[in-house]
Amino acid sequence: MISHLFRLIWNKKKAHTLLIVEIWASFMVLFGLATLIVVNVGNYREPLGFAYENVWAIDLNNNQDTTEVANKLGRIVQQLKTYPEVESVSRMSSNFPFSANQMNDGVEYNKRNVVSDRYVTDENFAQTLGISVTDGKWYRNADSVGKYRPMVINEKAKEELFGNENALGKIVSDKFRVVGVMDNFKAKGEFMTNKPAVFELMEAKNSWSNIVLIKVKPGTDAVFEANVVKNIATMVKGWSVEVNYLTDSRKNQHNLVLVPVIIAAIVSGFLLINVALGLFGVLNLSIAKRRGEIGLRRAIGATGSGISTQFIGEIWVLATFAMLIGLLFAVQFPLLNVFDLASGTYMTAIGIAVLIIYGIVTLCALFPSRQAALIQPATALHEE
Amino acid sequence: MLINYIKIAWKVLLRHPFYTFITLFGISLTLTVLMVLTSFLDHLFSSHYPETNRDRSLYIMLMVQRDSARSGRSSGPMSFQFLNKYAKTLKTPERVSIFSAFNSSNAYVGSQRIKLNTKFTDADFWRVMDFDFLEGKPYSEQNITNGDYVAVITDDFRKQYFPDATESAVGKDVEIENIHYKVIGVVKGSPVTRPITYADVYFPYTAPKSNYQRSDMRGGFMSILLAKNKSDLKAINDEFQDRINQIPLPIVENDNKYTYLEVKSEPYAANFIGQILDGGPGLKAILFGALAFILFMLLGLPALNLVNVNVSRIMERASEIGIRKAFGAPIQTLVWQFIVENIFITLIGGAIALLLTSGIIYFINSSGWIAYADLTINLSVFLISIFVCLIFGFLSGVLPALRMSRLSIADALKS
Repeated sequence: MISHLFRLIWNKKKAHTLLIVEIWASFMVLFGLATLIVVNVGNYREPLGFAYENVWAIDLNNNQDTTEVANKLGRIVQQLKTYPEVESVSRMSSNFPFSANQMNDGVEYNKRNVVSDRYVTDENFAQTLGISVTDGKWYRNADSVGKYRPMVINEKAKEELFGNENALGKIVSDKFRVVGVMDNFKAKGEFMTNKPAVFELMEAKNSWSNIVLIKVKPGTDAVFEANVVKNIATMVKGWSVEVNYLTDSRKNQHNLVLVPVIIAAIVSGFLLINVALGLFGVLNLSIAKRRGEIGLRRAIGATGSGISTQFIGEIWVLATFAMLIGLLFAVQFPLLNVFDLASGTYMTAIGIAVLIIYGIVTLCALFPSRQAALIQPATALHEE
Repeated sequence: MLINYIKIAWKVLLRHPFYTFITLFGISLTLTVLMVLTSFLDHLFSSHYPETNRDRSLYIMLMVQRDSARSGRSSGPMSFQFLNKYAKTLKTPERVSIFSAFNSSNAYVGSQRIKLNTKFTDADFWRVMDFDFLEGKPYSEQNITNGDYVAVITDDFRKQYFPDATESAVGKDVEIENIHYKVIGVVKGSPVTRPITYADVYFPYTAPKSNYQRSDMRGGFMSILLAKNKSDLKAINDEFQDRINQIPLPIVENDNKYTYLEVKSEPYAANFIGQILDGGPGLKAILFGALAFILFMLLGLPALNLVNVNVSRIMERASEIGIRKAFGAPIQTLVWQFIVENIFITLIGGAIALLLTSGIIYFINSSGWIAYADLTINLSVFLISIFVCLIFGFLSGVLPALRMSRLSIADALKS
């Protein structure tokens, strides 16, 4: 049966070239879109690793004031801790969660160099962002004695640096001693790839890490915020103070990812509707043209469902041809490691695209082939 | 003759509404996507309110400093002092404006918080840019030398900060980060897609916290050089680059030694595309490859679809073709007829697309996704669309027409 269908299609290969090219192109579009979606869904399913609700990032800028900056920052932190509305306060580098800033650096262990996101934070960071340390503990100021400074790394960094070894107590980059391992830290939001991240303890004299994260009690509003801003401004003259709610910044980060995906999905959706309509039209016409052949087959005993299976089978063979060509292109992505994605991602995307294409062609062939199955041999042969 | 063809085309369209629908759907969909896209690019890159002089301006937005090994690289906007020394004093431009990138800030009204974007500019900013002043006037050089605490705000911010819309805001007081400024003017805002002019509040650069006194080369400021007319752009660029080349190298700053310095003055679009392409030739190839692929799919797929439908449909008209051939119509005439038919239907599709596009654009403009969005279908966008229409008509017309014209008379008449 199948080899017969292949022969039928092969005999009319010239007439079918255009259809094959069209299905091939649709497959490529679907493959692209599916990759985009699979990547983002895959990222989204990885846990974020921290809690952002009710956390505010206070961005301080000392502007022209350059005297005793570290001291003043310390005083601001002390002041913030005194408010009853504030549960926890922590200082960190400018790349706070969901911000547009990024910092990365190579970390080395045993000649293995891993480029990872680097965050400079203090001892209250884990508490402020609700981070649970799975192995060891979050660093404290007291850990910074001797030659080595404490460092907390995430699971991903541990995997790439140490593999299956125990990370605790290891010295990396000749400077840091790992004191804790935490789960994920996806600072740019749920859609970010889970990347290696390292956290190092902020030194007391650090004057350029100018973000203060505060966790406030639920229900705290802008009146308190205005009050805080006013107080800071009176404490340090000439500084700028800006408050960001992490929930707002997260929304911005999400839009950066989601808007292009949604636009791509809408455009591809319309393209595919267009292709489906065209395919439907072409099949409709070509089946109508074969009324004589169908009538003859019915007359010698073919059943209605046999006829419709034949047409659906034919279009499946066509689609398979087209997708084999498409696969030649698509497998280049995992083979050449384009865009640095896991090959499983591409395979899933290919699978999704194949399924959708089969779905579309089946839907398009269903109605015309049912029409064909209803043809009465007497009328069809009479027309001939 | 042409009218005759169009009449025939019209009748053919009406005969099979379903196929007509498929064809029109494909054409209008593609053209709509293309037109919305061009309209958006036009919105991003052409001269529009308030940057109406974009076509005769050069933008200085980025300084790149490299060390001798060219391994380290540091880039970003420049300091006010640097631009004041090297850009403001240029001879060839008509005007030079220095302004900061936008900074975020918050203002508080009662228990409400207003998110703000602030910008520090010089007085020339208001002459280089073409803002609509709804109330009051811009700050002048006089305000700047006096160090007045004045501000120009947008109508949007006025609405949020001063609940009473009937009263004029000019002369009133706004408090931003504990500093009181007097409102001197109210302008119609600029959309966020124009980062050069976008802000809610504009301050003179002498206002507190602008950091204009900073003496390093890098800072938060950018500059625009406005030419008297387009042909001066090259001379201005030459003069500016000449100045940059005279800066003694290497520069030692904050413990870093830079032996290589690059400051470009470029037209607006070049600036943006340049920043994207900075990743090197590999990235460039990927970017252009992806763009070409997307465009090919966007145009190619519907065209292919149309060809497919047309090829199968043309056989329906075999008897008509056979008769015309039997009466001696040459192949060119027949091909020509089918191409005209296709162009005709493409133009109908184009008209539908125009309607759809204006609907979508109206929706984007009024939805508030982009505040102050002013997407338009202007002449150039429309002409591009028509051109695309015609290419489409050709693509989907030529192949079926050729195939049909090769049909022999006997075969054609038989059916």
